Amino acid sequence: MTFLSLKAGLWAAAAVVPLLILLYFLKLKRQRREVSSTLLWRRAVEDLRVNAPFQRLRRNLLLFLQLLLLAAVLAGIAEPVARFLRTSRPRVVILLDRSGSMRATEADGRPRLEHAREAAEAFVASLPAGTEAMVVSFGASPAVVQPLTSDLRRVAAAIREIEPTDEPTRIEQALQLAMAYSESNSAAAAGAESENAAAEDDRSLDTGAGLDIEIFSDGNIADAEPTDRAGARMRLHRVGEATDNVGITMLDVRRDADRPGMVFVFAEIENFGREAVTTDVSLSLEGRPISGPGSVQAVALGAAEDEGAPGSAGVSSGDGGSRGNVLFEFEHGAGGEVRLEVHRADALASDNVACAVVAPPRAASMLVVSGRPRALAVLVKAAEALGVGELRTMSPGEYESAAEGEIAAGGRLRFDLAVFDQHETDRLVPGGYAFFDSLPKMDGVSWSRTVERQPIVYGRNEHAIMRNIDYETLYISRWREAILPPRALRLLEGPDSAAISYLEDAGRRFVIAGFDLLESNLPLAEAFPMLIQNMLTSMSASGAADSGRSPRTGDSIMVTPPAGATRVTVTRPDGAREAAAVRAVADFALGELRGAGVFRLSFDDPAGTTKAVAVNVEDANESRIRTKGAVRIGGEEVDIVGAERPTNVPLWKYAVAAALAALALEWWVYHRRVMI
Amino acid sequence: MTALPTTVAEVRSTSLLSADFIARLERLEIVSRKIHSARQRGDRRSRRRGDSAEFADYRNYVSGDDLRHIDWNIYARLDRLFLKLFFEEEELNVSILLDVSGSMSAGAPEKALYGKRVMAALAYVGLCNHDRVNLCAYTNRVVRARWGFRGRRSLPEVLSFIDALPVGGASGFVGAAREFAMRHTQKGVCVVVSDLLDKQGFTAGLPYLVGRRMDAYVVQTLSPQELAPELAGDLALVDAEDGEVAEVTISRPLLDRYMSRLEEHRAAIRAYCLRRGVSFVTTSTAQPFETLVLGYLRGRGLLR
Repeated sequence: MTFLSLKAGLWAAAAVVPLLILLYFLKLKRQRREVSSTLLWRRAVEDLRVNAPFQRLRRNLLLFLQLLLLAAVLAGIAEPVARFLRTSRPRVVILLDRSGSMRATEADGRPRLEHAREAAEAFVASLPAGTEAMVVSFGASPAVVQPLTSDLRRVAAAIREIEPTDEPTRIEQALQLAMAYSESNSAAAAGAESENAAAEDDRSLDTGAGLDIEIFSDGNIADAEPTDRAGARMRLHRVGEATDNVGITMLDVRRDADRPGMVFVFAEIENFGREAVTTDVSLSLEGRPISGPGSVQAVALGAAEDEGAPGSAGVSSGDGGSRGNVLFEFEHGAGGEVRLEVHRADALASDNVACAVVAPPRAASMLVVSGRPRALAVLVKAAEALGVGELRTMSPGEYESAAEGEIAAGGRLRFDLAVFDQHETDRLVPGGYAFFDSLPKMDGVSWSRTVERQPIVYGRNEHAIMRNIDYETLYISRWREAILPPRALRLLEGPDSAAISYLEDAGRRFVIAGFDLLESNLPLAEAFPMLIQNMLTSMSASGAADSGRSPRTGDSIMVTPPAGATRVTVTRPDGAREAAAVRAVADFALGELRGAGVFRLSFDDPAGTTKAVAVNVEDANESRIRTKGAVRIGGEEVDIVGAERPTNVPLWKYAVAAALAALALEWWVYHRRVMI
Repeated sequence: MTALPTTVAEVRSTSLLSADFIARLERLEIVSRKIHSARQRGDRRSRRRGDSAEFADYRNYVSGDDLRHIDWNIYARLDRLFLKLFFEEEELNVSILLDVSGSMSAGAPEKALYGKRVMAALAYVGLCNHDRVNLCAYTNRVVRARWGFRGRRSLPEVLSFIDALPVGGASGFVGAAREFAMRHTQKGVCVVVSDLLDKQGFTAGLPYLVGRRMDAYVVQTLSPQELAPELAGDLALVDAEDGEVAEVTISRPLLDRYMSRLEEHRAAIRAYCLRRGVSFVTTSTAQPFETLVLGYLRGRGLLR
C-alpha cells in the first residue's frame, strides 16, 4: 500500500493528532468533587442525552461545528481542484529532457533536471483518475521510461528514475516514438471496437486526437523535423532560470602536417551569460600542464545577446563578442590525452572541460582508384594538401588485380581511406571507402533515378564526416540517387534526394557520392579538402581516435578492434565497466555516449591493446542554458506553461485539513461549559 | 473533648439542643393520629376500653362484669343492665429512625448533625411525656438502636447515644426498615429522618412501617448544596457512600434537569406517603431546626 500524498498526511497527522491527544488528556483532568449522592446527577445526565435530539433547533455551537465538519469532509470527497489548465484528454505523453543543459545548477543549488522532475510529478499528480500516461526521456535519443499506463503512481516513479546526461537535445525521435506508442495503443483499442476498419485508412483512427504531449524541458530544443502530430496537443513546461555559463563549444587537436611532433589545440569558448566575463583557460597533457608559457590563457568574453539580435557574437578574443578562441601549441612526439579546462564556476560545469586523445604522430595513408586523369589529379592534389603520408593511386584494373597484401593487412584495408572514382567493386575488406559516381557492389545497393539541377538544401554537419563543411556554396549539376539500406544516413541532400550518403556494413564504412566530381564545384571548394580530411580521420581502419575532433555526447561511434581481439572491456568516465564480445572483422559500436569524458577500451588481443576515446559536449545549444522566449518544435511555436505552476491544483487536502480543524474545535467546545 | 452531660441540668445546654429550646420542648407532646396500645399504662388514651375516668361507651351486662360500672340511671329508665366503658390510659411508643449513611455527612450545615438534633428534640418531648422512646440509627441496616427510654432522667443517656452515632456507609432503608419492624412489633409513632437519597429506593421500606400500623412520619432533610448546586466546569462527582463517579460537564440544561429530577424524586415519595397515610415533610438544613420542630412538625400534627 502506498500513499499519493504521504507528506500531506504526515503533516496533518503531526498537527492534529497531538492536539486531539492533548484535548483527551484535558478531558481526563476533571476536578473531583464529593457529593452526597450521584443518584440524581446520573438521572439528569441521562435525561440530557435522551432529550438532546428532541430539543428545539436553537443556536447550537456544537451543531454548527459538526455541520461544518461534515461539509468539509464532503468537499474533500468531491475532490475539488483549482483548474488553471485542464487536461481533458485521456492520454498524456510526458517527454522529459535529460540533455546536457538540464545539468545546469539553479539558484537553489539543485540541477535543472530535478526541477523538471518535480514539475512533471506535480503534473501527474494533478491528472484525473483514469488518465493514461507514458514517460519518454530524451537527449540525443529517446528512451521509453514508462509505457502507456493508467497507474499514475508508476508514472511518477518512472519520472524519478530519469538521470541527467551530457547529450544534446533532439526531440524529433522522441515525438515520433510518442506518436508511435500512441498509435499502437489506439489501434489496438480501435481494432477491438471495429474489426472492419480499413488498414489503409489510418487517418480515420485519428490517433493523435485525445493525446497531450507535455514536454518538461528548459526549451533549448533545436527545431525538430515537422512531425505529423495528427491532432495531438503539445505544451512545454519550461524550467530553469540560471543563465550564467561559459562553455567550450569546439575543440580540435591536430598535428602539424609538416612537423608531426608539434600539436595544435584549437578551441572556441563562448559566454552564454548576461554579463561579460574574463576567464582562464588551461591545457594539460596527461594530467600535467603543458610546458612553456601559454599553458593558461585569459579570455575576455562579452555578454551574450538575446537570441535573434544582430551582431551577437565575435570570433576572436577581446573583440567584445561573446565568443573567443584559444590556441595552444606544444611539442609532443607521442600519444596522450589533453584536457582543456575553463576555470570558472558557473551553472553548467560539464561544458567547462573538453578532452581529446592525441594519437602518436602518424601520417595518413590514402588510396585513389580512378581511370580518369583529371579526377585523379584533383584527388591527389587534395591529398597532398592535407599532408597525406602515403598516397597510392591505381587504375580500376590495377586495383582488381592487385595482390592482397597491397590492399589489405590483417584482414583490413591498409589505407586510412580508399577513394573510387567511377569504379564499382566488391573487393571491399573492412575499412573506409569513398565512392564518387559509383557504388560498392553489395546487396541492397543500386541506383535509382537521376536528379538534375537541384540545389543542395541540407548538410548533416553534426556528422563527423560533414563537420565544418560549408555546403551552401556547393553546386552539383546532377546526381544519381542511390537505393541504399534504410540504415544509411543522408549527409548531403537536395529537396527530395541525397547527393552524398553514409553506410556502414560489416566493418566497412562507405561514403557514397552519386555525382561526378568533375560535374560539381566540390573540388574547387574549401569544403573538399575538409571532406577528405574528415573521411581520413573518421573512417580509417585504425579507428576514430587518431586526431582531430573528438566525438560528442549523443554520437554513436565505431571502434575497430585490433587483430586477435575477441572481447573488449569499456570503462566509462563515471567508472562503470562493461564487457562485450568483438569480432575481428567488424567494428565495435561504442554507443550510449551519454556522458562526457574519456572512455577507455581494453582488448584481449595478444598485445593487450588499449584505446581511449574522448567524448565532449561541444554543443552551443546545450551550453546556452538561458531559456528562450519562444520555442518552435516541428515548425510550430509551442505553448509554454510555467513549469513551476502545476496545471491542476487539488484542493481536497485543504478541505480535509479544514475538517480536522473543525473536529478538534468541536471536541474542545463539547467538553467545555456551553452557554446555551 | 467536652464531657457528655450526665444530669438533666447539664443537658439543658448541649451541642444538640440549646437551653432555650429545651425549655420550649417541655411544653410539647407527641401526638398520634392513631391511638396505639403499649404494654404499660401511660398517659395516652387508648382505644381499648379500660379503667380510666373517661367515659367511652356502653354495652350489655353479662355475668361476671364489674358491678361498679353498671349505669344505674339507664337501669332505672329502661329496666335493663348496661355497663359503662372507659378509655384505657396506655403508654405511647415513639420510635425515631435516623439515617446515618454516608450521604448524611454532606452539606453545610451538615445533614447528620441536623438530623441528630431533630432526633434529640423529638426524643426529649417523648421523654417529658413519659412516652417510650426508641432510638434507631440505620444505613442499609440498623447500626445502632436503643429501646425503651422513659422519663426525663433518661435524657443524658439519650443525648449521649445520639452524639455517638457514627455516620457513614451505604443507604438502604428497605433493609433497615425490615430489621426495625422485626425487632419492634409495637405500634406507635415512627419518625424517619433522612435525605431519602437511597439508590435502592426509599419507598420500598415504608411498607414495613405501614404494615405495623405505625403512625409514620418522614422528614426529609437536604442541604442547600443539594437543593441548589453551585457547581461548574468538568467534574467527576464522587458519591460519598459508595464512591461511584459520575463525570459531568455542568451546563445550564444539566442543572435544569437535576432540579427537575430532584423535584420528581420528592414528589414521588410525597405521593407514595400520601397514599399510605404517611406524613411527609421536607426541609433544608439551612432552615433553623427549631423552626422545623416548632413549626412544621407541629403543623403536621406530630407535635402539639
